Amino acid sequence: MLIGNAQTRQGDRRPPEGNVGTAVAPMLGAKVNSSLMATRTRIFSSSVGTKLLIGVTGVFLFIYLLIHIAGNLVVFLGPAAFNKYAFTLEGNPLLPIIELLLLSVFLVHIYKTVRMFLGNQSARPVAYAKKKSAGSPSRKTFASSTMIVSGLWLLVFLLIHVKAFHDGWGQQYEWPAGGRDLYRQEIETFSNPLMVVFYVISMVVVGSHLWHGISSAFQSLGADKPAWTRFILPAGKVIAVLIASAFIVIALWAHFVAGVRS
Amino acid sequence: MKLDARVPAGPIAEKWDRHKFQMKLVNPANKRKYNVIVVGTGLAGASAAASLGELGYNVQNFCIQDSPRRAHSIAAQGGINAAKNYQNDGDSIYRLFYDTVKGGDYRSREANVYRLAQLSVNIIDQCVAQGVPFAREYGGLLDNRSFGGAQVSRTFYARGQTGQQLLIGAYQSLMRQVHEKKVKLFARREMLDLVLVDGKARGIIVRNLTTGAIERYVADAVILATGGYGTAYYLSTNAVNSNVTAAWRAHKRGALFANPCYTQIHPTCIPVSGDHQSKLTLMSESLRNDGRVWVPKKKGDTRPPEQIPEDERDYYLERKYPSFGNLVPRDVASRNAKQMADDGRGVGETGLAVYLDFKDAIQRIGPETIKEKYGNLFQMYQKITDEDPYKVPMRIYPAIHYTMGGLWVDYNLMSNVPGLHVLGEANFSDHGANRLGASALMQGLADGYFVIPYTLGDYLASNALPKVTTDHDAFKEAADNAQKQINTLLAVKGKKTIRHIHRELGRILWDNVGMARTEASLNDALKKIPTLREEFWQNVSVPGTQDNLNQSLEYAGRVADYLEFAELLARDALERRESCGGHFREESQTPDGEALRDDEHFSYVAAWEFKGVGRAPELHKEPLEFDEVHPSQRSYK
Amino acid sequence: MRLNLKIWRQTGPTAAGRLVDYPTDGISTDMSFLEMLDVVNEGLISKGEDAIAFDSDCREGICGMCSLVIDGVPHGPDRGTTVCQLHMRRFRDGETVTIEPWRAKAFPVVKDLVVDRSAFDRIIAAGGYTSINVGGAQDGNAILIPKDVSDAAMDSAACIGCGACVAACKNASAHLFMSAKISQLALLPQGQQERYRRVTAMIDQADGEGFGSCSNEGECEAVCPKEIPISNIARMTREYVKAQLGAGK
Ligand SMILES: Cc1cc2nc3c(=O)[nH]c(=O)nc-3n(C[C@H](O)[C@H](O)[C@H](O)COP(=O)(O)OP(=O)(O)OC[C@H]3O[C@@H](n4cnc5c(N)ncnc54)[C@H](O)[C@@H]3O)c2cc1C
Ligand code: HEM
Ligand code: HEM
Ligand code: SF4
Ligand code: F3S
Ligand code: FES
Repeated sequence: MLIGNAQTRQGDRRPPEGNVGTAVAPMLGAKVNSSLMATRTRIFSSSVGTKLLIGVTGVFLFIYLLIHIAGNLVVFLGPAAFNKYAFTLEGNPLLPIIELLLLSVFLVHIYKTVRMFLGNQSARPVAYAKKKSAGSPSRKTFASSTMIVSGLWLLVFLLIHVKAFHDGWGQQYEWPAGGRDLYRQEIETFSNPLMVVFYVISMVVVGSHLWHGISSAFQSLGADKPAWTRFILPAGKVIAVLIASAFIVIALWAHFVAGVRS
Repeated sequence: MKLDARVPAGPIAEKWDRHKFQMKLVNPANKRKYNVIVVGTGLAGASAAASLGELGYNVQNFCIQDSPRRAHSIAAQGGINAAKNYQNDGDSIYRLFYDTVKGGDYRSREANVYRLAQLSVNIIDQCVAQGVPFAREYGGLLDNRSFGGAQVSRTFYARGQTGQQLLIGAYQSLMRQVHEKKVKLFARREMLDLVLVDGKARGIIVRNLTTGAIERYVADAVILATGGYGTAYYLSTNAVNSNVTAAWRAHKRGALFANPCYTQIHPTCIPVSGDHQSKLTLMSESLRNDGRVWVPKKKGDTRPPEQIPEDERDYYLERKYPSFGNLVPRDVASRNAKQMADDGRGVGETGLAVYLDFKDAIQRIGPETIKEKYGNLFQMYQKITDEDPYKVPMRIYPAIHYTMGGLWVDYNLMSNVPGLHVLGEANFSDHGANRLGASALMQGLADGYFVIPYTLGDYLASNALPKVTTDHDAFKEAADNAQKQINTLLAVKGKKTIRHIHRELGRILWDNVGMARTEASLNDALKKIPTLREEFWQNVSVPGTQDNLNQSLEYAGRVADYLEFAELLARDALERRESCGGHFREESQTPDGEALRDDEHFSYVAAWEFKGVGRAPELHKEPLEFDEVHPSQRSYK
Repeated sequence: MRLNLKIWRQTGPTAAGRLVDYPTDGISTDMSFLEMLDVVNEGLISKGEDAIAFDSDCREGICGMCSLVIDGVPHGPDRGTTVCQLHMRRFRDGETVTIEPWRAKAFPVVKDLVVDRSAFDRIIAAGGYTSINVGGAQDGNAILIPKDVSDAAMDSAACIGCGACVAACKNASAHLFMSAKISQLALLPQGQQERYRRVTAMIDQADGEGFGSCSNEGECEAVCPKEIPISNIARMTREYVKAQLGAGK
């Protein structure tokens, strides 16, 4: 029954050729059939489809970051708790799939944003001699104007970050109770003041990316209701600041407090 | 020349239906063999081009602006009339017909007006189907208001942007036909001449305003919908690119120009603030529902309004017209304002303004209600004048607003030149000597959606139209002619700017052929206009070249035509030694200063034939007969 | 009042342009911005120089023809105002004012401050209408439309097609313009028949014209003379999603 239903619905979506021709002709002219097909593949390359993809991947990354910060805060509970948490996580058989998913989300996000950036650049070949924001209700901020810069910075950061934490530049530590001593890895990493500075800057960049990004993703996905939007706009900024500051606190704590203790 | 209005026989209510049946049809398969030129994309032009495209004709559509959506119709605020009687308040087709003939001071053709009233109901249906967001009531029905002193509520509106919404509706239909390739759009093109082959209108010459090229277009029939000539007065409420050029050049090719002296003046415009002013802004007449018009009793009283005590104010409309008060018709309100200014009792820096005071209304119904009713108008006023009308009275003054005159057309909207049809404000047809508020939009759309699709088919089906190309000598002659004028304009290289001369012309017309006209003032105008024209051709400065966008050159061409046209305007006003509607001859008034018609001598349409620049034109008269509505004297006491 | 104007001059579509200084005197604060330019042009014409080309028609904020970027903001500093309604009292004596045309690949410069916006017409031609031939319409009151729906449609329909949204957007995106028309027709019952085809066709057309995408910056809303909000863009996205998911097919 169910399958049958689904099939008829499928069938309904694609009416017989002749039908499409007559129904669509007044709107699309002669190229109807071909353009209808073309539209199907254009879904994600169109300007709106692009927004949708960036929005979806952006939300996904945002959620990942929420989980990531939550996990990382366990570090304040000490090495045992933190390493146990990491060990359990790494033991999860689904992890490779999740990592793969995460990777592809990143790739799509990066590919789409870079492509869109280049497209947008070419949409205005001659720049204004003078350009400024018109002010409220514009949402334009320093953050929104530099999304591509903050994004690319994050890309570089991620390469270094994953290198540092995933394989520790070849330096791995054992945790007696099993698994890696990720706690130590973190302390070691942040013992280097240059690393701390790089992280703090990067976390400000994350905050900046999310300052515009969180509310932007909602708008990109077409989620709008005056009542929500009034709430989403400031909430996005608050969360961006919270995430960035939490990460910064971890980095500074690891350097100044935990690092000194150990 | 005998003018045949070709009004069908039969009772007035059946004329159009009978005529529709009697007219010839073009076979559906043959329609695509006909080419039609439509000049103008206002309500009249866009609706005509779209409907003809839908029928299957090949249409070429031209406009001056960069997009058809910007035609001057877009600026209409108030609304559009239709005899729907949705309000159950006694409206009917017959009543709208009656009001329009009476409002036009018995100077319009009854049969045309009746058809207009009949078609008005279809217009609303069509526009609603297009998605025009007319105002609605809570129950979801269309809302109406009473407008311009009408006693029934028959005006449909879309906020203060009715013209915009109607035009966008027509424009969208037009763009659908462009997409269907039934209409070819030519924006930024200005028609410079009409081409006649064997006495029939077969094409036009245009200047491509971006490249400067002189282009030729051929067709089986030409439709002009190029709007009114209010900008002859320099300052008016019309858009700055409005012009008489297309109509005037068709006139020079033989089309008769009818009733040019019928111009309408709108009483509630924001007054002129200085020489730099380029146009006047209209504020909805509805303001007079709550505002009280006054001037100081004392001449030359320069005190600010709030310091003038109540008993030193003259609420002159309430005093002179106790029953209508501030709501007297447009022409009466305008003329009285002028009288006050002439009397030295005008207000503001220039003395060319009267007060429109909301103090009492604000006290009576509160500032909130006033804001709800007129908020955006108050805001607009404040933006322009930097004065707060909630605190100080508005200053208003009349301005040229609409022109009832235009190219003469018969019942089929065809001029005396076979194949040349004229729609909308560009023709003279339906409003007589004065147009009622909210009736111009109605006329433009009736002409374009519902009249021309039938009458054009009749013309095409009943006339042999041999194939002509743009290589025909007539095209060459007209193109050379247009080119020659451009060369001449660029070669003068004089000292005066075009704007300077246009402003001068405007002053002559406003002072002598404005709200009140006398034999002396008209003769004065007829003396001054040729002199100014001479000055123009001797001493105008038109910079730039012709091979690219040159707005000075465009403007110069339009002013050149106005300098010829203005003479006809004044002559028509001189010839019509009666007052009627928007045409007020001081010699012809009742003892209490009302316009006094002379039906015995002037119950005709004055259609003028061109005889050469500076030569007296020839007057042809189309007598007007009134079988239904019997002329009576207006009174608003 | 004195002003130091810097105005973009460009003789033709392919010519290189540049900002030219025009020191200007005798400006009255009552003038509109365009009347101020008229005065500058009068001066140029008296000297036999080519006048500065700029577009305008209604000069009361409704036709959408006027199109100047003033000191980096399309339509200038006043909110909800076209340049033709902007008055000189908004400027200070001695101020430097930079005037540029709309800038976008899809709006090529024709001359000086005049651009070609026919791309907007082609977007409407792609689907911004109801396919209703004259003659077949039912009675206007046969469709009931609640007042709030009609009002909301009118809010979106108020767009004057000026293109300031494109000019202001860092991506030169036409999303606000498109979304206004799509919203109007998606809200009204009359627009339902072609609702989903319309959104796809118009977006395809805009993309083909070379407009950019949207990064949700909202500069467009801030300069829009009719203050059309970007919630219209969100609605357009929803319409697009539904269309792609097969709604209405
Ligand atoms: C401020 C204002 C408010 C108004 N309010 C109302 C109202 O509330 N109700 C009402 O009923 N009426 C109103 N009117 C009157 C009404 O708007 C006009 O009479 C009507 O819109 C004229 O329409 P049209 O199609 O004849 O011409 P227009 O809209 O003037 O169109 C003329 C067209 O012709 C083109 N054109 C002109 N010359 C040439 C040429 N030489 N070559 C090529 N193309 C050319 C133009 O580009 C344009 O496309 C108002 C008028 C004004 C000025
Ligand atoms: C953890 C990492 C990241 C997170 C959480 C994240 C999150 C987001 C979010 C939520 C948005 C808003 C989406 C929208 O407006 O539709 C966004 C937009 C964007 N992201 Fe990222 N992003 C990340 C990494 C990156 C990277 C590595 C790049 C590198 C190119 C990048 C480039 C962009 C750009 C350019 C935009 C702007 C899109 C626009 O202009 O609308 N992001 N991001
Ligand atoms: C102070 C800041 C941060 C700390 C202390 C931190 C810590 C960690 C740790 C401990 C890991 C686990 C490594 C492993 O399991 O092998 C990790 C992985 C990761 N972090 Fe961070 N992180 C920080 C900031 C960020 C930020 C801002 C981002 C995103 C923009 C990010 C993205 C990632 C990713 C993508 C991985 C790899 C996940 C995987 O391989 O499964 N981190 N981080
Ligand atoms: S949305 Fe606003 S800015 Fe854009 S074209 Fe319409 S009116 Fe102009
Ligand atoms: S400014 Fe541009 S980025 Fe989007 S919200 Fe407006 S189109
Ligand atoms: S000139 Fe019409 S909107 Fe400015």
